[in-house]
Amino acid sequence: MKRVSAVTTKKRIVAVFLIGLLIFTVIDIRLGYVQFVIGDKLMGQANELWTRDIEFEPERGNILDSNGEVLAENVTAPSVVVVPRQVDKPEETAKNLSNILDISYDKAYEYVTRNASSVNIHPDGRKIDEKQETAIRTLNMDGVYLSKDSKRHYPYGDDLSHVIGFAGIDNQGLMGLELFYDDKLSGDKGSLSFYSDAKGRRLDRLADEYSPPKDGLDLKTTINTKVQTIMERELDLAESKYHPDGAVAIAVNPKTGGILGMTSRPNFHPENYQEVDSDVFDRNLPIWSTYEPGSTFKIITLAAALEEKVVDLENDHFHDDGDISVGGTELHCWKSGGHGHQSYLEVVQNSCNPGFVSLGQMLGKEKLFSYINSFGFGKKTGIDLQGEGNGILFKPENVGPVELATTAFGQGVSVTPIQQVMAVAAAVNGGYLYEPYIAEEWIDPKTKKTTEKVEPTMKKKVISESTSKEIRHALESVVAQGTGRPAYVDGYRVGGKTGTAQKVGPDGRYMENNYVVSFIGFAPADDPEIVVYVAVDNPKDTVQFGGVVAAPIVGTIIGDSLRAMEVEPRKGGLDKEYQWPEEPKVEVPDLVGLDKEELTEYMTNLSIETSGKGDYIIDQAPSPGTKVEQGSKIRIYLSENNR
Amino acid sequence: MFQNKARSHTSPDYILLGVIISLLLIGVIMVYSSSYVWAEYKFGDAWYYVKRQVLFAGVGVAAMLFVMKIPYSTWKKYARVILLACFILLFLVLIPGIGMVRGGAQSWIGIGAFSIQPSEFMKLGLIIFLSAFLATKQKYITSLKQGFLPSIMLIFTAFGLIMLQPDLGTGMVLVLTCMILVFAAGARLSHFFGLALLGLIGFVGLIASAPYRISRITAFLNPWEDPLGDGFQIIQSLYAIGPGGLMGLGFGNSLQKYFYLPEPQTDFIFAILGEELGFIGGTIVLLLFLLLLWRGIKVSLEAPDLFSRFLALGIVSMLAIQAMINISVVIGLIPVTGITLPFLSYGGSSLTLILCSVGILLNISRYTKI
Repeated sequence: MKRVSAVTTKKRIVAVFLIGLLIFTVIDIRLGYVQFVIGDKLMGQANELWTRDIEFEPERGNILDSNGEVLAENVTAPSVVVVPRQVDKPEETAKNLSNILDISYDKAYEYVTRNASSVNIHPDGRKIDEKQETAIRTLNMDGVYLSKDSKRHYPYGDDLSHVIGFAGIDNQGLMGLELFYDDKLSGDKGSLSFYSDAKGRRLDRLADEYSPPKDGLDLKTTINTKVQTIMERELDLAESKYHPDGAVAIAVNPKTGGILGMTSRPNFHPENYQEVDSDVFDRNLPIWSTYEPGSTFKIITLAAALEEKVVDLENDHFHDDGDISVGGTELHCWKSGGHGHQSYLEVVQNSCNPGFVSLGQMLGKEKLFSYINSFGFGKKTGIDLQGEGNGILFKPENVGPVELATTAFGQGVSVTPIQQVMAVAAAVNGGYLYEPYIAEEWIDPKTKKTTEKVEPTMKKKVISESTSKEIRHALESVVAQGTGRPAYVDGYRVGGKTGTAQKVGPDGRYMENNYVVSFIGFAPADDPEIVVYVAVDNPKDTVQFGGVVAAPIVGTIIGDSLRAMEVEPRKGGLDKEYQWPEEPKVEVPDLVGLDKEELTEYMTNLSIETSGKGDYIIDQAPSPGTKVEQGSKIRIYLSENNR
Repeated sequence: MFQNKARSHTSPDYILLGVIISLLLIGVIMVYSSSYVWAEYKFGDAWYYVKRQVLFAGVGVAAMLFVMKIPYSTWKKYARVILLACFILLFLVLIPGIGMVRGGAQSWIGIGAFSIQPSEFMKLGLIIFLSAFLATKQKYITSLKQGFLPSIMLIFTAFGLIMLQPDLGTGMVLVLTCMILVFAAGARLSHFFGLALLGLIGFVGLIASAPYRISRITAFLNPWEDPLGDGFQIIQSLYAIGPGGLMGLGFGNSLQKYFYLPEPQTDFIFAILGEELGFIGGTIVLLLFLLLLWRGIKVSLEAPDLFSRFLALGIVSMLAIQAMINISVVIGLIPVTGITLPFLSYGGSSLTLILCSVGILLNISRYTKI
């Protein structure tokens, strides 16, 4: 047995102390690690635990037209938020809420007793109406709050619906501009965070932290509401007149590529999008649909031929006997028997298919297709909307003589309306192919200052100024003297081109008596301010020709729009050549100041409607000098006194 | 080499006394700060816990001063009786109907506020008995059969009974304290290595037989894997300490005491202290415990005889180990075991008993020879 010495014991006791010292040191180092090294991380996590956030929705930016007219705005509609832990009398609160919000008592009771820091009553308590709001404010129930919320309102209803699109119940953009620019429009959420205990009760001794919501920016667009309204009106008229399967209208500013107006049928009311078949709002026809352009495509062939100087419109001639043989296939002109002997200008005016085939042949496959590509066909234009189509062109290796010939007059290719508009805009604006766009400026909603301005994007110079001028002249003559006569507008030098395109049926063959009739027009021809395209799909009870159905619509849109845009009327344009059964328009005489009795002398071919009482004419509409159709109505305003 | 009858010839260790009183004061203040939210909620009286803590501290200090007067040799005389009584209590608490279940463990005997934890008594009882045993039989301690094994078996019998409640925290404090005594008494290091080897084999065997146990350990290492289950307390504790930083959020400014950290005035009082008083406050408390350890070791080294040397060492080791385990749990160094922080945590009988132990230590300090 070895005896343990007192020294051993003491040494071991000192060792125990040293180990203890070491352990306390380790503990203190760990304490420092927790408080300094991972302290911030823990603080962040703990802060999340301690604070409850009440979110504040930012105000969604308005959408405006180019003149500041509101196209989409917010109207306030509060939402109910319940903080269950602050609800004193759950039964009573549930009863009140079930009455006000028209939900079952059980459902309401579940909301007010749910184990959560705050509960949104979705969707019945979202965006409630004024009566409900008043009721909740009056009752002032513990734990029931109203959060400021807003819903989207579109003052122009179903106008421009596909372009503006709509936002959902959480103010999230779902379609159109609302979706494309959702980030900028929606802004950033704000919050009021308050400290609370683990039972969800607010700790008063700590200050609340408020970070204000950042409102979305206002979007000023290139849209001109006046132009848009005119287009909507005209499509409504066309719809009731022709009962078409669909219709498309686009107006752009050829100098920038900015969209002035865009609409289609069928359309929808954005505030009721849930009641509409999703195909209707998913398909923005002016940019989504693709079809054979038909004759409007001849403008591209014409532009290529002029730029390449393969033809002299005035001095070269073409004889059309009704059909042309290409690679063993007979291609017919739309006019049976043909147009006979014509200058190439007349070929354009008459939209003569064999004439354009000859232009295509003169150009050759490479050149024609390179121009088609340059003008932007076969690829998206890049407009700031979702769901754009590409269109389809013949693959170069598949292009034989027949394909070259049909492409030259607009068959066998497939394009979107927006592609045609942009291409024609380039053909008539001096040769500049622009990217179409709608978003023009971003405006701070508080300061009303512009934070960002979108500059037009010129993609390519496709033809020369002089070629463009020639095209304008040729197309002006189409309207003044050719197939586009119904689009003629007095004083505004309209140029344009008709199109009547066959549709391919489900069996892959062309359908009978079912066409997309279109017209693309621009004005004034000396310096185009607007390009308008209208296509009507399968109009009923009419001759399915673009010149008959679409040209007058485009004419009206251009005339009314240019007047609304206060574009100076022009002089020196080509005069309209009248054809039977059209009658020349008559000038409205100046009737103001005349005695009622004297009217009979003047009124031979106009009818009169009167407003007011008296013997003297003090005003009239339309104003003197306006040219109107024979038999049109003139409204005169009468008064007792002659001023 | 020791005087057989040492006489009290010096005053008690006032530094030690000062450390104890400082810790008690910090304890009372922190019990108030950490408990008033909970007290207000549960009893409608913010002062509910602190009033009682002041009372316990008063009773405890009185008991300490009383015990300080009792010559330490008395404990040697009654060592066997004390141990026997403790074992009886430890058996009794396991009998359903006598022992009361609190917090999942059957650890309490008595009625209402007058209840005690036999395992707390066993800690002190076993220290007294082992000190007496090792002092008389020190020459046998190097012998496996006559010294080492009997001590170890006694310790693990007590540990086994405590683990039947179960109360792992108290059991660990008891085993570690007693091992220190056996070590200081001069047991062969080879015996300790053998014991450690046995423990390791047992540990490996336990894991091999049920591999899920390893996940318990990894769960501790990453409490965020189960934030609402096993990891809950440690996460809440770290959420208190972490934001404390250097200076703390300021006295009374804890947020975790608002029901996030359950019953913060007991086992996790150091977390609230770290939150409100920061690294500086936590370090001061650690320094006070280190000071306590140092003064206790000093008393042990200067003790007049072997019994008092072991007794002082045992008592101060028990206090230091308990503080180390408690704080290590709170700062996430070791898994949650469930023991109080001496002098600071709210609690009646354990505080009184701890102060009685300090009384014994202070009594020995009066006999120290320089």
